Amino acid sequence: MLRSLKGLVCRSLRLDRGCALHTAARDGLSSVSSQDVPAERPRAVFHTSESDPAKHTEQHEARLYNIPLEEVKAVFPHGLPHRFQQQIQTFNEARVMVRKPALELLAYLRGSNFAHPAVRYVIYGERGTGKTMTLCHVLHYCSRQGWLVLHIPDAHLWVKNCKELLQSSYKKDRLDQPLQASAWLKNFKTSNERFLQEIKTQKKYMWGKQESTEEGRPLGEVVEQGLARVRSATDAVGVVLREIKQQSHRGSFRLLVAVDGVNALWGRTTLRKEDKSPVSPEELTLVHNLRKMLRNDWSGGAIVTTLSQTGSLFKPSSAYTPQELLGKEGFDALDPFVPISVPNYSPREFESCYGYYLERKWLQHEKAHTEDGKAELRFLSGSNPRQLDRLAGPL
Amino acid sequence: MVVDQDWSSVYPTAAAFKPASVPLPVRMGYPVKRGVPPPKEGNLELMKIPNFLHLTPPAIKKHCAALKDFCTEWPSALDSDEKCEQHFPIEIETVDYVSSGISIRNPKARVVTLRVKLSDLNLDDHAKKKLIKLVGERYCRETDVLTITTDRCPLRRQNYDYSMHLLTVLYHESWKTEKWESEKSEEDMEEYIWENSHSQKNALDTLLQIKASENVSNVTKEELLASEVVKKYRNSVIALKNNGETESNMSQYKESVKKLLNIQA
Repeated sequence: MLRSLKGLVCRSLRLDRGCALHTAARDGLSSVSSQDVPAERPRAVFHTSESDPAKHTEQHEARLYNIPLEEVKAVFPHGLPHRFQQQIQTFNEARVMVRKPALELLAYLRGSNFAHPAVRYVIYGERGTGKTMTLCHVLHYCSRQGWLVLHIPDAHLWVKNCKELLQSSYKKDRLDQPLQASAWLKNFKTSNERFLQEIKTQKKYMWGKQESTEEGRPLGEVVEQGLARVRSATDAVGVVLREIKQQSHRGSFRLLVAVDGVNALWGRTTLRKEDKSPVSPEELTLVHNLRKMLRNDWSGGAIVTTLSQTGSLFKPSSAYTPQELLGKEGFDALDPFVPISVPNYSPREFESCYGYYLERKWLQHEKAHTEDGKAELRFLSGSNPRQLDRLAGPL
Repeated sequence: MVVDQDWSSVYPTAAAFKPASVPLPVRMGYPVKRGVPPPKEGNLELMKIPNFLHLTPPAIKKHCAALKDFCTEWPSALDSDEKCEQHFPIEIETVDYVSSGISIRNPKARVVTLRVKLSDLNLDDHAKKKLIKLVGERYCRETDVLTITTDRCPLRRQNYDYSMHLLTVLYHESWKTEKWESEKSEEDMEEYIWENSHSQKNALDTLLQIKASENVSNVTKEELLASEVVKKYRNSVIALKNNGETESNMSQYKESVKKLLNIQA
């Protein structure tokens, strides 16, 4: 009640950028710890104790919910924005804000028919509005529901700054990236231990001359093989993707393919071959296999992706719409998809984020506690989550 | 000088400045220190500059009255702009230059600009697209006007003939279809065509898979293409590609995809 009145008071200074989609890439959302913190204002209404995303509804909107730290380690070994991870360390808790785009996505996922081919969702928005955090919220929901989560934290990492590029032994004209593949396999293992024992391979795979994985062995062995022999890590990733895709329609598990920065797969790379000719994304095995996963010729799950300009290559910094970032090829490959836009903070969400920072004593400046200070923060950040986070840092 | 004297007889043609004939107290020149500009008597500055004392408004009125005998009446049927445009769709623009000097020639006077609206030309779809590609920058999409400017010949009449020749050639060439035009690819298309595009293929594949999973057989492609959801999807994709991405376009696309894939919230 009090919060909505506060929202009315500050409405005159609202400076939302109308239709911009913002993703809260760093917006950590604060959450208040469950202990009673003696605060000047009454106990915040902007925290919710409901920590299961499955039960989040509109009444939880603009509130922050807590994820226990052990779950954070298990579910998000990679994938949370860097600043949010720092925030978790500082505040010793992980609080995520429940926002409309995430609620919308969760509603779609709940109502989706898993016999139909997988639906693709593309989360888009301007810089720093909460796209990656929305993705993480959905990821948390799916892992709580027991889905197999295939999370690629940032597809841009696979198309730039690769130290080693090996020629693929499987297909002559493709290139392997052993370091990236093994890093991803390690994190994949942490988040999906139990599935790796349950899913069995369906055919025999040869790794080089002597080693092979027989049919019917658990997928964990393939992952071990990839981690042990780094040269074959990329092929191991390809095998894992292939097996999971083929078996998802049986219904024994649900598959969520979550890719952050999906526009990297159809852009340009900054990698060069030994003869200094540029590498196009199709020539990278990892990208090729991931593109096959993103096609909707399988059923029994969903594909949730995010567009990101921040790590992208050769794209102007003002680009945020799907066509601009994906390009013609990417759009044609992902079409038909459901676009989900993530805007800047609404007044309510801004209030709750500001209230969280205050309650955790993150805003130390004495003027920041006043109404004027709040209005100034709102104006300076433009209700953009990332800007607010950066502004509140030095205060 | 008498006040009601006829000025056009004092200066009937271009002549130098005669201080005795011009009754105005004109001063011109740089003044000496703490002085005034020199007077008009014996003033070289006034004599060397060109003057238009022979072209005062009454003089020009007399010229027009004399020329009227050589003119014809404006046709009474052409009393509005629309009628002029309808009967004479081609507009020719030329510029004449007047200067006070020894020679009446000016090289800029040879430029001829021809303007015509493409809607007044008899062009079908292929011919119009080919013509627009041929002329490039000379066509303005908003006003549908083709502008051809010619100045490569030394005389105005030659430039006019050349511009008419250009228009004729463009018209006839755009009606012809060459053999290599069949190789026109997607990148060359001016606007997005949904038929036979990736979008159509993807949508049809997805719908067929959905129907197969529901065990509904005997659904043909034509039926799918004719259904309402696919038509709406097609329109939203065309709007998105041709008009760019706006809020309304994106939300329309989102709604159409949700209906197509049967997603309920």
